[in-house]
Amino acid sequence: MSGTAITILIIGLGLIAWLSARARALRLAHAGRASPPSAPSPAPEARPRGPLLHSLPSYHGWYAAIWVAVPALLFLTVWTSLMPGLVTDRVLQDPAAATLPQDAFSRGAILSEGRAIAQGKAAAAFDPRSNAFVEPYREAQRFYSIGGGVIALLLAFAGGAYAFTRIRPDFRARTRVERLVMLGLLIASLIAIITTVGIVASLLWESIRFFSLVNPVDFLFGTKWSPQSAALGYGNENAFGAVPLFWGTIFIGAIIAMAVAIPLGLMSAIYLTQYARPAARKWLKPILEVLAGVPTVVYGYFAALTIAPAMRDFAVSIGISSASSESALAAGLVMGVMIIPFVSSMADDSISSVPQAMRDGSLAMGATTSETIRQVLLPAALPGVVGGVLLAVSRAIGETMIVVMAAGLAANLTLNPFASVTTVTTQIVQLLTGDQEFDSAKTLAAFALGLVLFIVTLLLNIVALQVVKRYREAYE
Amino acid sequence: MTSPPPDETLTRRIPTDWKGQAMQRRIAARYRAERRFRLIGLASILLSAGFLAFLLVSMLGNGLSGFTRTEIAVKFDFPRAPMVVDPAMLEGGNADQVLAGANLPVVTAQAANAALGEGGDALISSNAWLTVRDAIRDDPSILQREAVLSLPASADIDLAAKSQGTAQAEAAYARLKQGGHVSRAINMPFLTASDATDPTQVGIWGAFKGSLLTMLVTLLLSFPVGVLAALYLEEYAPRNRWTDMIEVSINNLAAVPSIIFGLLGLAVFLNMMHLPRSAPLVGGLTMALMTMPVIVIAGRNAIKAVPPSIRDAALGIGASPVQVVFHHVLPLALPGIMTGTIIGMARALGETAPLLMIGMRAFIASPPGGVTDPATVLPVQIFLWSDEISKGFVEKTSAAIIVLLLFLLGMNSIAIYLRNKFEKRW
Repeated sequence: MSGTAITILIIGLGLIAWLSARARALRLAHAGRASPPSAPSPAPEARPRGPLLHSLPSYHGWYAAIWVAVPALLFLTVWTSLMPGLVTDRVLQDPAAATLPQDAFSRGAILSEGRAIAQGKAAAAFDPRSNAFVEPYREAQRFYSIGGGVIALLLAFAGGAYAFTRIRPDFRARTRVERLVMLGLLIASLIAIITTVGIVASLLWESIRFFSLVNPVDFLFGTKWSPQSAALGYGNENAFGAVPLFWGTIFIGAIIAMAVAIPLGLMSAIYLTQYARPAARKWLKPILEVLAGVPTVVYGYFAALTIAPAMRDFAVSIGISSASSESALAAGLVMGVMIIPFVSSMADDSISSVPQAMRDGSLAMGATTSETIRQVLLPAALPGVVGGVLLAVSRAIGETMIVVMAAGLAANLTLNPFASVTTVTTQIVQLLTGDQEFDSAKTLAAFALGLVLFIVTLLLNIVALQVVKRYREAYE
Repeated sequence: MTSPPPDETLTRRIPTDWKGQAMQRRIAARYRAERRFRLIGLASILLSAGFLAFLLVSMLGNGLSGFTRTEIAVKFDFPRAPMVVDPAMLEGGNADQVLAGANLPVVTAQAANAALGEGGDALISSNAWLTVRDAIRDDPSILQREAVLSLPASADIDLAAKSQGTAQAEAAYARLKQGGHVSRAINMPFLTASDATDPTQVGIWGAFKGSLLTMLVTLLLSFPVGVLAALYLEEYAPRNRWTDMIEVSINNLAAVPSIIFGLLGLAVFLNMMHLPRSAPLVGGLTMALMTMPVIVIAGRNAIKAVPPSIRDAALGIGASPVQVVFHHVLPLALPGIMTGTIIGMARALGETAPLLMIGMRAFIASPPGGVTDPATVLPVQIFLWSDEISKGFVEKTSAAIIVLLLFLLGMNSIAIYLRNKFEKRW
């Protein structure tokens, strides 16, 4: 019996339990009434008090269905996760196990081959020794899957029987079912916390392992990044200095991209809120938002295919012969365009929430619209705009695909926008998308970089939200 | 603020000479500044929109040719070809197997050499015999006669036909064209095939199916969890430290860079739980964690918009708090939640970085059969093709981007339609 069949069977049993428990509760309800079921129900004061149902019949149905399905399905989940271990244990009890070689590697290989054949995933054995294990595996698997199925069905029947005995008119089925629903709601909302804890724990755990190999001070303040040399066995010293990565990230995400996004985004927001007619605004705003909806891989491809060669040609034409085709400028420009809608919508919000009276007052004094914007609205909206820019920076430095595709891999510490720089996210992708064992300092370094990225974006977000919040409070 | 008039003017009480030349010049300058400012604003919007247009036009320009392919007409003389196929054996379901052993590659190469001159077999795609096989399977009677079949051209010729090829290929193409052998046709295999090493044979169906499976897992996990969490936080959660913690972590998760979710997936799902690498299941799990906060935030806004009077009315006629929410609040909030979900799913569909982390970047030549099979997704496929050196991949990458963008456009249109149709102002 396969797990799927058992699951479907249990769900079917749950359905039957729902129907029959509901029918039973309905019968009780009818029996509890003085008049026959077809007659209109008597007035409340005429009803006999005792046997009246506390809960609607469908709640009794749900109660029974939950008792049938939930314990059995929970058991099945636990069982399927335990089963491989149990099966292996049983196979090792087999007399054939005595012939296994001692070293762990060939032992594991023979066992897994035997398992693959038993499960029908492989047709024939590569190593003839594994044939001896096909039959034990098949037998053990049959034993445990049938055993598990039988226990699950027993649980389902036991649960159903228990629930059935409790169907009485005064039984508070609704309260029980609703309590379970509330538990489900609480668990669903706890998943957010579990995810956060999971992120922090996995990043911290791997980073601690990394920092046991590499000094954190060398990592945070070292200026030479060459994980390849560490992987080749030249030692971990001076191979994991992440400063060039941090600089590259800041250079692309916080300097070049913002140099594009802040003026364009801010001026777009000003035009949209202050000048554009409603009809034009209705069309222009979604167009800006489309920029935020384009997948980053498309931006990356565009940057690599179109913008980067153009930038290199431009650099060569103005006499910079060392220009790279993977320049910081190309990645930064495209990233800036991607960020425009974020800056613009944050600026839009904060400009529109400046009280109308301030604007009217300035216009009434004879200031032109642009003078009002520059000297009244913008200073008043500045905290909101700054918060929006901080959020945009946090997004830009966490952005991956554009820099992976358009920025380079050379860890240069340079101010030249036409040179190639690398970023934290590029290096994470680079370090983790190869075939190497998971314990090397090279792979663990990716998690340390991830931790730094997580902390920095978190701090930026917290600061930005605080700034925006305080600003909103000032005008409310 | 305009600068106040100088003090001496005030004390002497001489009215400002607004009509004077100096004042007129000042006003003109201020109006010029006003117009300039306004133009800068307009220009920056047009620049942003222009960039979008440039991006789309360049993708269309590069990619549209990827939907067509060059075909070369080759005459086959099947009765005289060095192959033995019993037409009766093609009747059953195993025609493909019979034909696979029928020496078709050699037959095809010979026919190409005969029709196009010496070296003709290099002009057609190395998998052209598959087209011949399909033709015979569809109509076994052509084995008794001569037939002219349109075979896909090789990558070099295909590029030359799109005037991007090498000089040598251009010359070969010119000769073919003079002989009247070549034609353009819709590249159906691009929509039905999977990844390949030869750019003329690649298709997006495998990656597309991988995307669909991944999105299915994401939707099945993140939608119920997100909606239930939004209901709890908005309707039932007591105001205490735990609730605050949940809210803070949801808001932070929505702002965590996507690559961090990839690291989480790698560490937890692959290294701790040993789920299969490159599988849509793991991709879907990772994406679900990323999409859930988006759904929760959208869901809370939609639930908040349901007026309290509806809750009060339901409570007043005796509904329990759970009944109030599931019978009244949730159905009314559902259109808003759906809109948020579709937008979150569209974001997840375009996401690449986390899936690179969990190994969905392998070369997969057949579409995945289930959620645990190795697969890739559309954006990752685009990324992989963009790394290819062969020039024929440029148009295929752009064509895949067009497909992805069309799909996203469709999803967002549905979201906007839902919002406009069901949005209620209470």
